[in-house]
Amino acid sequence: MKTKNITFKLTFFAAWLLTISFFGCKPDDFQKLDERNWSLVWSDEFDAAAGTLPDAAKWAFDLGTGEGGWGNAELQNYINNPENISLDGEGNLVITALRNGNGFTSARIKTQGLFAQKYGRFEARLITPYGPGLWPAFWMLGENILTSPWPQCGEIDIMELRGQEPHIISGTIHGPGYSGGNPITKQYALVNNRFDADYHIYAVEWDENKIDFFVDDFLYQRIERNDPPGEWVYDQPFFMILNVAVGGNYVGFPTSETPFPQKMVVDYVRVYKEVK
Amino acid sequence: MKTHFIKLLHYVPMGLLVLLFLSCERDLEDLKPAEFASNPEIFIDGFSAGLNYAAFGASVPTAFDLDKAVSYNNTAASMRFEVPDAGDPRGAYAGGSFFTEVPCDLSPYNALTFWAKATQAADIDVVGFGNDLGESKFQVTILGLAVNTNWKKYIIPIPDPSKLTAERGMFFYSEGPEDEKGYTFWIDELKFENLGTIAHKQFSILNGEENVETAFVGVTKSISGLSASVNLPDGVNQKVFAASAYFTFQSSDPSIATVDAAGQVAVVGGPGTAAITAKVGSEEAQGSLTLESMGNFEQAPVPDKAPEDVISLFSDTYSNVPVNYYNGYWAPYQTTLSADFEVNGDHILHYTDFNFVGVEFSSPTVDATAMTHLYMDIYLPNALPSNAQFKIELVNQGAAASAVYSKTITTDQAQQWISIDIPFADFNGLTGTDKLFQIIFVNENGAMSSFYADNIFFYDDGTPPPPLTEPDVPAPTPTVAAVNVTSVYSDAYTAIAGTDFYPNWGQATQVTEVEIQGNKMLKYAGLNYQGIQLAGGQNVSAMTHLHLDFWTANSTALNVFIISTGPVETGIALSVPTTGWVSIDIPLSQFAPVNLNDVIQFKFDGNGDIYLDNIYFRK
Repeated sequence: MKTKNITFKLTFFAAWLLTISFFGCKPDDFQKLDERNWSLVWSDEFDAAAGTLPDAAKWAFDLGTGEGGWGNAELQNYINNPENISLDGEGNLVITALRNGNGFTSARIKTQGLFAQKYGRFEARLITPYGPGLWPAFWMLGENILTSPWPQCGEIDIMELRGQEPHIISGTIHGPGYSGGNPITKQYALVNNRFDADYHIYAVEWDENKIDFFVDDFLYQRIERNDPPGEWVYDQPFFMILNVAVGGNYVGFPTSETPFPQKMVVDYVRVYKEVK
Repeated sequence: MKTHFIKLLHYVPMGLLVLLFLSCERDLEDLKPAEFASNPEIFIDGFSAGLNYAAFGASVPTAFDLDKAVSYNNTAASMRFEVPDAGDPRGAYAGGSFFTEVPCDLSPYNALTFWAKATQAADIDVVGFGNDLGESKFQVTILGLAVNTNWKKYIIPIPDPSKLTAERGMFFYSEGPEDEKGYTFWIDELKFENLGTIAHKQFSILNGEENVETAFVGVTKSISGLSASVNLPDGVNQKVFAASAYFTFQSSDPSIATVDAAGQVAVVGGPGTAAITAKVGSEEAQGSLTLESMGNFEQAPVPDKAPEDVISLFSDTYSNVPVNYYNGYWAPYQTTLSADFEVNGDHILHYTDFNFVGVEFSSPTVDATAMTHLYMDIYLPNALPSNAQFKIELVNQGAAASAVYSKTITTDQAQQWISIDIPFADFNGLTGTDKLFQIIFVNENGAMSSFYADNIFFYDDGTPPPPLTEPDVPAPTPTVAAVNVTSVYSDAYTAIAGTDFYPNWGQATQVTEVEIQGNKMLKYAGLNYQGIQLAGGQNVSAMTHLHLDFWTANSTALNVFIISTGPVETGIALSVPTTGWVSIDIPLSQFAPVNLNDVIQFKFDGNGDIYLDNIYFRK
């Protein structure tokens, strides 16, 4: 999520253009995964009444405009108004980005201080927002971020999307020596479909040797322990974040044509541990 | 940039131009009842079979052609459209429709797509499909499609594909010159597709607005602003205007208001409220019209003035003169909106959110000099919180300020027609009625929220206009050649020098020079007698006549004298008072025995106020 160095941006976009991948539907050797026995250890099904805020025992808010637009020149002001974040009474959490005159409001929640876990399967089932300048994400940061500042704490982006390309999502890790505009990342694109049209399940499966990235249980990226050009910083608990950013270095500015309001609809977030 | 796409002009079967391609016609072996083939391809490298092209009326008939030199992705050919320059004798624009003989089943698809580019950046006025040169029941249009010099893919979403089981209108376009200049655009790979990359379809009626209007039994309305919006693969919405047949209209209370399949609303009962909404398939369209029916409408009194005595601005009784607008929406301070309606064939102006509003009729302006009054009927549908001040401003072209009349409307006059019948003389500051061009209504003390208006006209109540006390126009301009004239006083000729027009002969007359429409003249106020002293004796013996223009509304006696040294003088009586300017040419022989070699003075005597101009001798 963090792209601290703007000068990386052009390089980054160029690289992305060359590496975009379209995956077919047929299982291949890559998909022959080891049998795992996952045990649910944490979840939020968002089943409470319409209009209520997310469960305070599970989620904390990031509020305001952050330092330097949360490090990315993002435009939104995060607030905890039910207009921007609340349950819909139909089993979903809805994060809504609104255009308020010249500004934008939205919401960002995290499990920091409430839940973190080392290794396991982290998944969310959600519908993304869309439109130029919209930047939804389901991602994680190392719980040690207060003592080991980013990027040393590590960052695992399970799903992020540029609203002007609603058919492409990215899975990414940022760590020391490979962060900002130079992370380890891969795109996954839908053919003749788009991620804002229906629910999809975004997940990582993470252990001491690798992090696997999935869309709808299709493995599209595996990052192994020796792959990063810098230190492997993924042997400690991480907490989860859900947010809808507006604008910023990664996605560009929204335009007058960007439709608002925009909603990210989250059916559930679940975390599993492997039982051996 | 005008779009005329109604009349069929030229009708060319495309089969003559291109080879066979996929056909919409049924094959015998898979013939099934009441089902049409669903060939999605209109133009890929050439045309599909059974496709026809017709140029729209008044368009350049040859604007469309195949182009084998320019195409998208270097395919065999593209469709080329040449937009004419303004003033092209062949036609004012490029426009036409591609349609099939046999209907196609387009229900498997959700969009018409194509690639396009142009010789310059331009906005194509109209592109769409569903124009079959007939009913065009399911027509869909994009207005102002932006194209540029690069090939780009364009998507026209189908609002509801399930409706298009038998469609003949495959594609149509209409485009005029850009800034008076013609240009060329190309379209290629024109086909229907089922795209998974478009999403979030939304429908609107009334441009998505939730309108609330007061109405009466007999009021009819049309639900307009029908559109669909779909999010394109780049995250931006594309709006298309959709024909009413895609929509299913409904009324929340048909005993108050009904709506037909075409979106025509009729208020049939009341008092009561009915909301008109629409669906496309099972999807609710945004926007609604809530009609608050007051019941039966009370008509304004029918005017009884004779049509020849009326200049009407707004009335169903008389023919109205051209009116530019009944609401100028004057930015930035005007809040007044219009919600005009028609009830039982009677058109009513309805102004809401009233602060002020202007009616303009400047093309041409109205000459109401033969009229005496302004008349109008107004109706305040809401109760008045206090007595209202309804101010009417009348504006004549060239006047420094508008003329004002304020009418107090008492609270007990609300909810009934009020006749406002004002003599022009009651308009404070009205300097003329020859070039009226605006009426402005002002909610002077804010007590009114809205009003209806009907029967706005000027009329002549039959009393003759008060006589003029001074000329309203200058004297006629003389036409005698200057070489044949010895001029004493005229704007048209160089006068002899040294004349004293106000010599002190002990007279009571006040002499001034006045100017009317830029033309100078002499005014003799309170005439008893008055002289004109020439600079020495003038020899006018070569001349034959004395010319004089005079105007008086109140004189009963007026004589003009020529005087030669002696004095020798002769007077000629002039006929007064006058109706407008009188031009007279008096033979100089009538002034005998005055010596025409030695004319030194003129003299006028009589009474009243006299205007004089163009005093000269001529031959």
